[in-house]
Amino acid sequence: MSEKIGGEVVPDSTKKLDVNGEIDLMIEDLDLWYGDKQALYGVSLPIAKNSVTALIGPSGCGKSTLLRMMNRMNDLISICHYDGKISMGDTEITAKDADLVEIRKNIGMVFQRPNPFPKSIYDNVGYGVKLHTKPTREELDAIIEKSLKRAAIWDEVSDRMHDLGTSLSGGQQQRLCIARTIAVEPDIILMDEPCSALDPIATAAIEELILELKKDFTVVIVTHSMSQAARVSDYTGFMYLGRLVEFGETDKIFSDPDLELTKRYITGRFG
Amino acid sequence: MKDIDKLQKRSRKLRNLTERVGSTSLAIAGLIGLLFLGVLIWQIAEPTFIKGEQGEITAVSEWIPESDYRFEWDFPNIDENGNLTGDPVVIRFEWDDENGSHSHDVQINVIQTRQIKTDIYIDSNGVDQTEIDVGRKTKFYAYSTLSVPVTVEQISGPVPNADDTGYPSVNTFVISGDVHVLWDDENEQVFQTLELLAWTTLLILIIVFTWPHETVISLLSKIESYKKLVRGVFYILAALTLSLSFEFSDKADILELENYLPTLDAALGALCWAMCGTILYRLLEGIERLKNLKREIHETSRLKHSISNRDGILMWSRMLLFTSTIFIPLLIDIPFLTERYQDIFVPYASGIRAAFYGTIWVMLIAMVVSIPISVGAAIYLEEYAKPNRITKLIQALVTNLAGVPSIVFGMFGLAIFVKQGGIGWGLGPSVLAAGLTMGVMAMPIIVLGGQEALRSVPRSVRESAYGIGCTRWQVTKDHVLPSAMPGIMTGTILAMSRIMGEAAPLVVVGATAMILFDPEPLAALNGGNLNFTVIPIQIYFWTAEPDHAWHSMAAAASITLICLLIAMNSIAIVLRQHFRKRLKS
Repeated sequence: MSEKIGGEVVPDSTKKLDVNGEIDLMIEDLDLWYGDKQALYGVSLPIAKNSVTALIGPSGCGKSTLLRMMNRMNDLISICHYDGKISMGDTEITAKDADLVEIRKNIGMVFQRPNPFPKSIYDNVGYGVKLHTKPTREELDAIIEKSLKRAAIWDEVSDRMHDLGTSLSGGQQQRLCIARTIAVEPDIILMDEPCSALDPIATAAIEELILELKKDFTVVIVTHSMSQAARVSDYTGFMYLGRLVEFGETDKIFSDPDLELTKRYITGRFG
Repeated sequence: MKDIDKLQKRSRKLRNLTERVGSTSLAIAGLIGLLFLGVLIWQIAEPTFIKGEQGEITAVSEWIPESDYRFEWDFPNIDENGNLTGDPVVIRFEWDDENGSHSHDVQINVIQTRQIKTDIYIDSNGVDQTEIDVGRKTKFYAYSTLSVPVTVEQISGPVPNADDTGYPSVNTFVISGDVHVLWDDENEQVFQTLELLAWTTLLILIIVFTWPHETVISLLSKIESYKKLVRGVFYILAALTLSLSFEFSDKADILELENYLPTLDAALGALCWAMCGTILYRLLEGIERLKNLKREIHETSRLKHSISNRDGILMWSRMLLFTSTIFIPLLIDIPFLTERYQDIFVPYASGIRAAFYGTIWVMLIAMVVSIPISVGAAIYLEEYAKPNRITKLIQALVTNLAGVPSIVFGMFGLAIFVKQGGIGWGLGPSVLAAGLTMGVMAMPIIVLGGQEALRSVPRSVRESAYGIGCTRWQVTKDHVLPSAMPGIMTGTILAMSRIMGEAAPLVVVGATAMILFDPEPLAALNGGNLNFTVIPIQIYFWTAEPDHAWHSMAAAASITLICLLIAMNSIAIVLRQHFRKRLKS
């Protein structure tokens, strides 16, 4: 079965998609509606372990929705309902009785706008750790230091751990949010346009950090910047009108895409 | 092209004109409003506090031919066993009439127990008593129904707080607005001074904190290295204030509000001291941080920012200041408010003690009843309830309830709380029934305010908390509620200040016109005296009296009520501003 989108015949989006190595998260045939409006049409996508997967596409194509579906963040929107399956190993994320707390602990999320808690830097990172484990003071200090170091912000904040998290600059806040996320040791980190509110220097710092994080975590990133996707990701999925129209290794997508539509989008000659 | 220029010029002219006319008329309206307010206050204040002091008293004497003189001693001259200590207090009344000169001595025993009051009456047969008992800190009066002047003289014992002429004329009168500090005895003097000092220190520190001035900051920076010591000193003062209070609070009658007031006062005083210590510590810490960052002292705006935004310490201290301000009348003795009951015959000797205490009790009961339920309901409706038909129905009902006239709540209270039998709880026209009615009335307002506050918490706060794996309750408790708390509290305080000024429901519930004792909050349960009254009711009944003097008293009570309301609303304003500032940052 094939469909015609944007004046082009695209292959059936449920076809088998392959990645090298172990699959961490598998999305199968996901449909999603906001009320009556369908936002995702039969999306299937494998996320490879310890890699960076980028989702690109024009605004409103459903990339953020798909990302937020991976840790069931869409449950916060009351009119949202879905059909399909997302699984992580043996755990079925879309199951009705799924343990959302456990899922969100294992699949952390970094948002578009930096949103540290209005608490001190120390508490920002320590809060999640204290929720899930009962560390002693020394253990907590060690975890916080380690997380901040991994998020490459330790040097900047080590002397003012008890200042408000919101008193940092935008780029620092975003890295603080990343530190907060990795402090609870998730398997996957979802990033929803983490650099869209930042300047080029802060963006560069975050991108460097993503490449570093890849060693320990699986990263899924939604981005509007083609160059960013090309720089940081191993796999790229191109979404259009709620469908995942093309998915593959980043090098291939950016050098020799299968579809004319993808090519037009990534070269900026869209529509 | 030229036409367009012309048109633009015309529209600009019109716009400027509208601006100017608009702002001028607004300014004029504001000025007229201020003028009106000024006239109002003057009209209320003038007969009560200024003219009343001399002129109006004779008016009273016109229809009851009596004059009186107030006495007070603040120290007992009788010990627990009833034995005299020191000289007995003896007063001599002397007058001349057609039967010759008269001279009568009366011995006054000032005893430890409070609220015992025996008045002295003088008529053509002479003085009705030769020895009377008077409670400590209680004023008693000598009334004369003679047409000739009576002179009063103390011939032995310690001298009371007398008129400054030393030899008081019979026509001296006590006026309701007078403020003077009364000390019970030397120890209590220390403890009240400590509280007042704490209040003043807090006030000064808050001013320093809010407008940090360069000179003050540089002065403070000299003691910066002793900051822990400074904080310790303040904490010791707090402990001292608190410990002194326990010695003096008399727990014999657990339902007597007055027995708790010293402890309450002391707790507030201790809190003030503790807050002073914390503020000062924070301030010094901030200065130290500035120095470490190699900043200049004169960058006070940075200092202010770095401290006041830290954890709302400034907001809490301001709230504490406001709260303790409400209790100042109990610290500094304002007889009109905390000493005098209504005097049936003498308007200017009356006070609103019963109504003031009644108001405090009704408010406290209403708060205890309404705040937990309403805040819980707001959280449930906003955070937990699924948006189905039942929730929508409840929401609509709550919204409509907030607009129901207060008298209807009075009828509800009458049917449910006051009446016996059927669905009635049979509490009678008591403080408890009134408090419950007022609590029910405040509920919809608090729920709506709370929902508004919860709704205005940005979604990113919830998302970020869910994102690291919080449960719904953790998100609500740790993130949503702290952000919404100032808003919820603003709504609560506004609701409380609304029910404080509300008379209509209590007329239905059955507040009485005049009581001469403190209302008992739990009388409905333990079978005490049910009667109570509150300030608005007292005003209402006083304005209905024929004598103009009572109208002045009603005005004085109104001013008291307005002061209380302004204090409550100021807290709400402070909270709201703090809330906005935090959202912005």
